[in-house]
Amino acid sequence: MTQTLATRAPSLQTQGVIKVFGSMRALDDVSVSIAPGSFHALLGENGAGKSTLVKCIMGFFEADAGAVLLDGKRVSFHSPRQAQAQGIGMVYQHFTLVPCLTAAENLVMARADAPRVINWRNETRALEAFMDHMPFRVRLDRQIADLSAGEKQKLEILKLLYLDQRFLILDEPTSVMTPAEADEVLSLLRAMAERGEVTVLMISHKFREVKAFCDSFTVLRRGRVTGSGDARAVSVAEMSRMMIGETQLRSRAPRLAHASAAPRLVLDKVCAEDEAGRKVVNGLSLGVVAGEIVGIAGVSGNGQSALVEVLAGQRPMTGGSLSVDSAPFHPCRADLNRFRVFGLPEEPLRNALVPRMSVAENMAFRSFDKPPLAGRFGLISPARLGAKATDLIRRYNVKTSSADAPIETLSGGNVQRAVLARELSGDVDVLIVANPCFGLDFASVAEIRAQIMDQRNRGAAVLLISEDLDEILELSDRIAVMSEGRLGDAVPSAGADRAEIGRQMGGH
Amino acid sequence: MSLVDFLIVFYAMIGGAIRVSTPFLFVALGECLTEKSGRINLGLEGNLIFGAMVAYAVSYTSGSPWLGVLAAGGAGLALGAAHGWICKLPKVNDIAVGLAFMSLGTGLAFFFGKPYIQPSAPRLSSLPMGGWSGNPQVQQALQVNPLFFVGIGLAVVLWWALRNTRAGLTLRMVGDSAASARAMGLNIDLVRLLATAAGGFLAGVGGAFLSLSYPGSWNEGLSSGQGLMAVALVIFARWNPLRCVLAALLFGAAGALGPSLQAVGLNWGYHFFNAAPYILTLGIMVASARSKSAAQEAPRELAIMK
Amino acid sequence: MSSASSPETTPPGIVTRLQERLPEARLIEPLIIPLGALLASAVIFSVFLLALGKNPVTFFSLIWTGGFSSWFSVQNALQRAAPLILTGLAFAIPARIGLTLLGAEGALVLGGLTAAVVALPLQAAGLPALLILPLMALTAMAVGAVWMGLAGWLKHARGVNETISSLLLTYIAIAIASFLIEGPFRDPGSANKPSTQPLGFDLRVSEMFGTSVHWGLAAGLVLAVLLWLVMTRSSFGFAARIAGGNLRAAQGQGLPVGRLMLACCAIAGGCAGLAGFFEVAAIHGQANASLAAGYGFAGILVAFLARQNPLVVVPVAVLIGALDASGGLVQRRMEMPDATMLVLQAVIFLTLLVSDTFYGRLPFLTYQRGEDRS
Repeated sequence: MTQTLATRAPSLQTQGVIKVFGSMRALDDVSVSIAPGSFHALLGENGAGKSTLVKCIMGFFEADAGAVLLDGKRVSFHSPRQAQAQGIGMVYQHFTLVPCLTAAENLVMARADAPRVINWRNETRALEAFMDHMPFRVRLDRQIADLSAGEKQKLEILKLLYLDQRFLILDEPTSVMTPAEADEVLSLLRAMAERGEVTVLMISHKFREVKAFCDSFTVLRRGRVTGSGDARAVSVAEMSRMMIGETQLRSRAPRLAHASAAPRLVLDKVCAEDEAGRKVVNGLSLGVVAGEIVGIAGVSGNGQSALVEVLAGQRPMTGGSLSVDSAPFHPCRADLNRFRVFGLPEEPLRNALVPRMSVAENMAFRSFDKPPLAGRFGLISPARLGAKATDLIRRYNVKTSSADAPIETLSGGNVQRAVLARELSGDVDVLIVANPCFGLDFASVAEIRAQIMDQRNRGAAVLLISEDLDEILELSDRIAVMSEGRLGDAVPSAGADRAEIGRQMGGH
Repeated sequence: MSLVDFLIVFYAMIGGAIRVSTPFLFVALGECLTEKSGRINLGLEGNLIFGAMVAYAVSYTSGSPWLGVLAAGGAGLALGAAHGWICKLPKVNDIAVGLAFMSLGTGLAFFFGKPYIQPSAPRLSSLPMGGWSGNPQVQQALQVNPLFFVGIGLAVVLWWALRNTRAGLTLRMVGDSAASARAMGLNIDLVRLLATAAGGFLAGVGGAFLSLSYPGSWNEGLSSGQGLMAVALVIFARWNPLRCVLAALLFGAAGALGPSLQAVGLNWGYHFFNAAPYILTLGIMVASARSKSAAQEAPRELAIMK
Repeated sequence: MSSASSPETTPPGIVTRLQERLPEARLIEPLIIPLGALLASAVIFSVFLLALGKNPVTFFSLIWTGGFSSWFSVQNALQRAAPLILTGLAFAIPARIGLTLLGAEGALVLGGLTAAVVALPLQAAGLPALLILPLMALTAMAVGAVWMGLAGWLKHARGVNETISSLLLTYIAIAIASFLIEGPFRDPGSANKPSTQPLGFDLRVSEMFGTSVHWGLAAGLVLAVLLWLVMTRSSFGFAARIAGGNLRAAQGQGLPVGRLMLACCAIAGGCAGLAGFFEVAAIHGQANASLAAGYGFAGILVAFLARQNPLVVVPVAVLIGALDASGGLVQRRMEMPDATMLVLQAVIFLTLLVSDTFYGRLPFLTYQRGEDRS
């Protein structure tokens, strides 16, 4: 029998919150009102400011202007612990449970008043009693490492309730759950909210869940509130419009028409798993024709990074196959050279470069084992390496104090230019690009997109994976949406329906 | 060989195993604590030797071997704390620091220990556990040092504390998921510093056993790498203090078996028995390297297991 | 989030301005910090000496005398440096690909044993020494390469941590060698100290022309230069350095990371095995327990002090050799135990490791990070 907790759900308002990082306004006059006992959804694309807002609420950092009111009283938290002491708790996208401990041990240790010597008999009894009040249970004596991701997420939520936190902030909670678990947890939370036991603020991009379980919502776009209202009344199309913006098309880059041909790069039912054995890429099939850009859109965390890692050889492929020009392709050096496959991975300092090596050396990664750089006996000529680097630095406008400077000292835009110089300076048949312009300045962004377009016009088959929908729409010939490891059908981007794309991003 | 002879050898082996395993046990428990917090200390060999020297010297000057044991622990604590403090500096290579401390501990021990090689210091007295047998050889063999029981008791206490006290659970948290520990506001560097210092203390006590009980003298050939072996031992015991006791006994028995067999004329297995613990540990590491369940027992923050 | 500082607010340091003009100036940081560490260790050790009532000036001048001042002492230092060059290389090469291999001691012992054992049937067959010696060296290197390659293979194929596995393999190697030396390969004439049969006189590696330093030094020098060339100038070395610098980038470039790791481990084992060969053929004349003299572990200090650079290993090995060489002199003149040198080396090692934390943190030494203007 489920007993009810005392009805103490708090209300929360933010009034005119502003948060600036350097030159970027992460939050611009954000005012949100969450009634007690409501299940409120916070919607928005990547980079809209949702994480920043909840971190301000939680006390990770302080807003530069504006106020946060809890139950009508102004509060200012300097650390998450202070927020927790006032009853605000958060479930993050990464787990904060300790894998080697059991659920019971995690819960007890999370308490600020955990006893020095723990009497497990008493604690277990208290925990069982607590569990009886809870709408869903997790076995207390199992190690966290043995729990599924969905069970871990449930336990994270239970931890908040155990710690008597009444304002629950959930950051994409169902992204690791099966649909059944998601429905179970959300409906139970909704019931608790309706009973006035908790107030829930859920960051989500899944319209289905928002429509099914939430009562109110707010939409953020580029740090501003672009809409709010009753989740049950407003349509998905309307929500999507608030999220993504007006359907006016950005000017698309000038492109040459190519005769369509058989696809050059073919991904056939590609699968990949994470450490827990879950499929992060699930039977993904796609073909890219020479001279076209296929853009894969989607909210981050749906398997895009894993897909790029598979194509780059950083993650093993557990199923399916890759082929280029009808021949099998493996991401080994011989094939990369033979098929002229090049890549611009995301976070280049992490994925494509050695930070402490010089700019010149980093630019030689593709060519160090071939003539003209490599001579007899596999010896590299430093003069030729330096000359080539100097030439590339000049041609691609890489601003560096010297070719021998460690590449980690370059600014973000120049780092990416250096990678471009390395990868795109030869003949490119296949190009795989991931989030190329993330965090870069305006000028660099324009340059890089122009380079990608140029390669496409010269006949390369380009696969563009990006979390920036505008970028995808501007550059791609065809667009497909990736969600939960699967790919929707690729449609021509000219005249594509933004709302439909937005809907697909919210879950098939 | 008659049955009586066989039994004498057998009891001699048991006694030998207990004697040889005691320093292993202390160093292993110390390393276990340190590794549970997510840090590896390869320098315990230095703690062991330095502890042995300090114990002998203090026992000689003060006349009390137990004071020597305490002093050895203190010396080990200081070395361990220094190790822990240096390792928390960014960009410092933990493994190399351990090796450096091994040299430092050994060097300091040999440096200050020269005057104590000849003199005879009061030793730790042993408990006669062989009184039930009338045979003087067996009685001699079964003289057990109380430190052995202290070690076992300590292992039990540690095992209990790791599951039932806040301090123990905190230690496991820091060693398994630094991110979660940080989210809870724990000071990870402090926990690891304390664990490394405690580990150093125990290794020092293990060293005291070497010089004050068995072999019972101080000289520069005292240790044969037991400090480094203890690292293998902890991996072999899968970071469980109780299994450390069993593993120490196993390693000790392997070490004692060789001489015992030699004494009765069987020569061939000596080196094999010496090497057996390492071969076993290597085998276990290979078998569990890709196994999910075995990996779960390792503290996930331990650099060598990542 | 962008960082709070910008180039406009903090003026570039002297060194940065220098680095913009002169590319070689980027070597300043990796040179100043280790030199600073050496200086700091000298200061710390001087404090230690003063606390003991000894004169630091006398001490360091004795080191100079014992290690560098006379031809005799220089030769002494070089003689001791010879194995250290090779074992230093044995740590430095895998370190460049990101592996911490501690197995040089074991590979050395097995290499030395192999050389001693291989020599006997070849000698009995009447082959000339000019043929036997290279064969001894090659087999020693091969055995060492296989042994340390084993640790590399375990890492590549099974993901076993190479530090621990190489440590275990060292002990196993010493046990195997002891077993063989005391058993099947034992020289019946070696009663109190089990050894293999002594090599014939013409099978001993001689000293270099008129000096008292054996050819092992020259071999170490040649290998150091060769491996430096390989690591800095060859495609193989370049690929290995990419893998050591950023594994993901190496994978993204399709490089065969596993094979590269294996090769580096084998090279390291070959160096250590060669050191074992020289220990047997030039010093002892036979394989016995003296082989495990700790050169393998001493090589680790050499490699770190040399910042894993094969060329720099040579002068560093000579420095450490000089320290070792002056140990006896210090002991006699200042009445200090010969462990003094061990303490000094440990202090040097520790201050060097602590100095690692200063890389990138001393503003006047490092590059300023660039910022985009938007």
